Amino acid sequence: MQTIERDLVIIGGGPAGLAAAVSARKNGLDDILLIERDRILGGILNQCIHDGFGLHTFKQALTGPEYAQRFIDEFNRLGIDALLDTIVLSLDSNRTLTVSSKKGFIRIMARAVILAMGCRERTAGAISLPGTRPSGVYTAGAAQNFVNLQNIMIGKHVVILGSGDIGLIMARRMTLEGVKVEAVFELLPTPSGLARNVRQCLDDYGIPLFLSTSVFELHGKDRLTGVTVARVDDRFQMIPETRRLVPCDTLLLSVGLIPENELSLSAGVRLEPATSGASVDDRFMTNVPGVFSCGNVLHVHDLVDHVSEEAGLVGRCAVRYLKGEPAPEEAFIPVVPKADIRYVLPQTISGKEDVTISLRVTRPMRNAAVLVTDRDRKVARKKLVRLHPAEMIRIKVKAKDIETAEKLEVSVQC
Amino acid sequence: MLKKNLVCIVCPNGCDVEVLLEEGQKTEILAIDGCTCDKGKEWVAQELTRPMRTIASGIPVEDGDFKLVSVRTDAPIPLGKIFEVMAVIKEKRVTAPVAIGDILIPSPAGTDCNIIATRNVAFTG
Amino acid sequence: MENHYDVVVIGAGVVGNAIARELSKYAVSVAVLEKELDVAMGTSSRNSGVIHSGIHYKPGTLRARLNVQGNALMAGLCQDLKVKIDYIGKLTVAQDEEEVKSLYTLKDQGEANGVPGLEILDPGAMEKIQPRVGGIKALHSPSTGIICPYSLTIALAENARANGCRFYLGHEVTSIQKTGDRFDIRAGNKSFSAKILINSAGLYSDHVARMLGIDEYRIYPCRGEYLILDKRLKGTLNVLVYPAPHHGKAGLGIHLTNTVSGNILIGPSNEYQEDPEDYACTADIMAQLRREGHVLLPELKTTDFIRSFSGLRAKQTPPEIGGFKDFVIESREDVKGLINLIGIESPGLTSSPAIALMVRDMVTSLLPLTPKKEFNGARSGMTGHFYELSDEEKADLVAQDPDYGEVVCRCEQITKKEVLDAIQNPLGARTINGIKYRSRAMMGRCQGGFCLPRIVQILEKEFGYRPEDYYLKNLHSPLFSGNMRPDKTRV
Repeated sequence: MQTIERDLVIIGGGPAGLAAAVSARKNGLDDILLIERDRILGGILNQCIHDGFGLHTFKQALTGPEYAQRFIDEFNRLGIDALLDTIVLSLDSNRTLTVSSKKGFIRIMARAVILAMGCRERTAGAISLPGTRPSGVYTAGAAQNFVNLQNIMIGKHVVILGSGDIGLIMARRMTLEGVKVEAVFELLPTPSGLARNVRQCLDDYGIPLFLSTSVFELHGKDRLTGVTVARVDDRFQMIPETRRLVPCDTLLLSVGLIPENELSLSAGVRLEPATSGASVDDRFMTNVPGVFSCGNVLHVHDLVDHVSEEAGLVGRCAVRYLKGEPAPEEAFIPVVPKADIRYVLPQTISGKEDVTISLRVTRPMRNAAVLVTDRDRKVARKKLVRLHPAEMIRIKVKAKDIETAEKLEVSVQC
Repeated sequence: MLKKNLVCIVCPNGCDVEVLLEEGQKTEILAIDGCTCDKGKEWVAQELTRPMRTIASGIPVEDGDFKLVSVRTDAPIPLGKIFEVMAVIKEKRVTAPVAIGDILIPSPAGTDCNIIATRNVAFTG
Repeated sequence: MENHYDVVVIGAGVVGNAIARELSKYAVSVAVLEKELDVAMGTSSRNSGVIHSGIHYKPGTLRARLNVQGNALMAGLCQDLKVKIDYIGKLTVAQDEEEVKSLYTLKDQGEANGVPGLEILDPGAMEKIQPRVGGIKALHSPSTGIICPYSLTIALAENARANGCRFYLGHEVTSIQKTGDRFDIRAGNKSFSAKILINSAGLYSDHVARMLGIDEYRIYPCRGEYLILDKRLKGTLNVLVYPAPHHGKAGLGIHLTNTVSGNILIGPSNEYQEDPEDYACTADIMAQLRREGHVLLPELKTTDFIRSFSGLRAKQTPPEIGGFKDFVIESREDVKGLINLIGIESPGLTSSPAIALMVRDMVTSLLPLTPKKEFNGARSGMTGHFYELSDEEKADLVAQDPDYGEVVCRCEQITKKEVLDAIQNPLGARTINGIKYRSRAMMGRCQGGFCLPRIVQILEKEFGYRPEDYYLKNLHSPLFSGNMRPDKTRV
């Protein structure tokens, strides 16, 4: 079996992998190999044909394919190597990969690896949806692939479970194509997707959004014929007297994304329960030396602009590691989520450099501040008009304020 | 005097906006609260008089390496015109190659926008 | 008449196919009629996939005899058919002295049935076989195994097909007449005629019997629901672990079963249904299975549940009586030429090779059977999957056939070659579920979210499928409503 050696291998050619590769090259690294399982670069952006991407990065509302193309053009201009139609089948803690494509099954030994595999959608099985197992039940992303890439319409009369952004976008997309979208049902008391998407994808087209309501049973032995929906109480238990049957032939699920970390696990990467992604330091290195993580495989983002920015930083960190810059000392400073914070990232920092902490809150709040403290000393504070679990918040912390820190605690101050 | 609540759609921040206005022959905005940028204020004024939207869709391509070329409006169109524009898009067929930015349909349904390609589609024969 | 056969088998489940494959060794014409568009669509694909040892059945019963005989036959059969089987063994665990007594009863019963290698183990020995198993004593039955039940059912059919047996999928039997010494059968708007009719219609076996005026049987479908767990937990279970029989105990006797593909099943529940095709999963049972799963497997996370399914047992006992009745396998005196198989519930899968031999003997007494020289019992192809091979073997295969290099299903690491083989299966089954059962694509944690769009592309590109040609399981389960933009001449 053929074995090759590379300095940096990037797994995944979506927005994270592309930005990491471009950044690594711009930071002076020659030997970079990006591996992408699809026949084209760009990842999930290829099927996200709606606009709204790139407002931060390019100050323009681009569609997914356009946004991806800017990075692909840059990637190609820099002459970075990519293996397309190629899948990584395994990764171990010594950064040895096995890789398969029509051209052969080979082994690659990498000095550094950037994990950029993205995420997958939660399924009907994952949420244990009761009822029959008919055709016509799709995750919103799979539906988006059929409609936007394959010119296939998946049904005529649609119900959407979950108010994640992909579900909202698909509600509008299918309505524009003449499909009847009956309603969107959301288990939580607030929408999971961005407020602007509720406005421009549902409200504009008169598609109702029912909050604190969920689908409790699928009907139809062959093709879906309907779903039973009901309201839930504040412990998410069904309120039986609110049960009703909603006839439909298609159910789209937009009930969450899960970082695709199977390769990471096989390499011994430690995952954080709160993000389902790797636990990383402020150089985005995992507990496995030389293995970095960025983008949706690290934590699910709501904006691709943030993915690109994060991945760009990770590309630079990987180059610094490869150039033999001394690893930060063992004694890392933990960053810990406190009141009203669901997760923080990175989970440990060196205290020697400025760092941007990414976080999500547990519940919607207004006019509050995110506070970073070290032993009750204020390190950073960011005031926000609106805080929402659907929106990632980022707060900058200066090196000079954390040099002597022991533990950073992040909380919301109302 | 009338109070209206809007969600700004200019950017992902999705600001909650409260507007005080006088509805007469011409809508007059008395106060805007909640906008965090100037673009948002412009959008609010527009939204109250003549709401505008962008849309995206796909057009079948012959002889290309993709079955569909994704497209969008290159400028906002009136909300009420969306389905008319979609009807024009639905009729359209193109042949590869297509490049990002190519105008595939100029001013559909009499609007001040073009339908432009948002994906490169190579000719495959 | 065109569709004239010596033997017609009704029902392409594991039992019907095992019989068809057994008869394909002889110079007789055999046809299998199946109402679904594929084999293994009923109970045969919807069970625990356990090859039982035979400790649970009363000595002298058909179930006891056929189970032990079937268990012994299964190893060779699987080798011939290239079906993966793993005799991992089973611990039946006692928690108190009362239950220990029942272990000895089971052991005596098993030995009377001829079950090999039974041993009562103390905690030290139990712990060696399965760490943290708990309990004070256990009965170890080393001949208990696991198998993929639909892989076996499909393999039996393919091998029967290769040896001349005809399969009519999508042919539901609607009427049967006995005319002289032949049966005239209507199925799927075709007429068939047979000298011998074998009723292995499973959940519908009573219904088929009634078509010939036999009213004495009634099948009571009894549903068992399961949850399938992520492969992440592979390795937490070395053997099957069952609780000892205990009459006073409440609960459903839910347990964990490992599968040959590395998943773990939680289940099954036990609830009678009216409808022999009600494969729904219910909120209450699913919640209960989840709860029990967390108790039985402390490392279980909520993200480990990847799918649920249910199957129906073809029970002969009504809910108010419960329990079990012995298999009915009979050559009817009143309707000569009819062989009935009624109530083949557990251990039907294990017993299937032995049932096939028993039915062959019944056929022999009606119609002399001459062995066929050209019979080839070995199935071509690979046992198991690409992902189970070593790196070197994988590299060699990809070098031989580049379609092995393209991984279509990322969760299960199923290659394009395996998907193509599944699409081009010898039985001509073309449903999405058929591709899934044969290749394992779409069976992983993303449940087809990633690979279904790719499989759709393969079917379109290489087999000319249009959007309206895709079906999940039958002609009433289309995947799509059509093209988003219909074809039309370009502008």
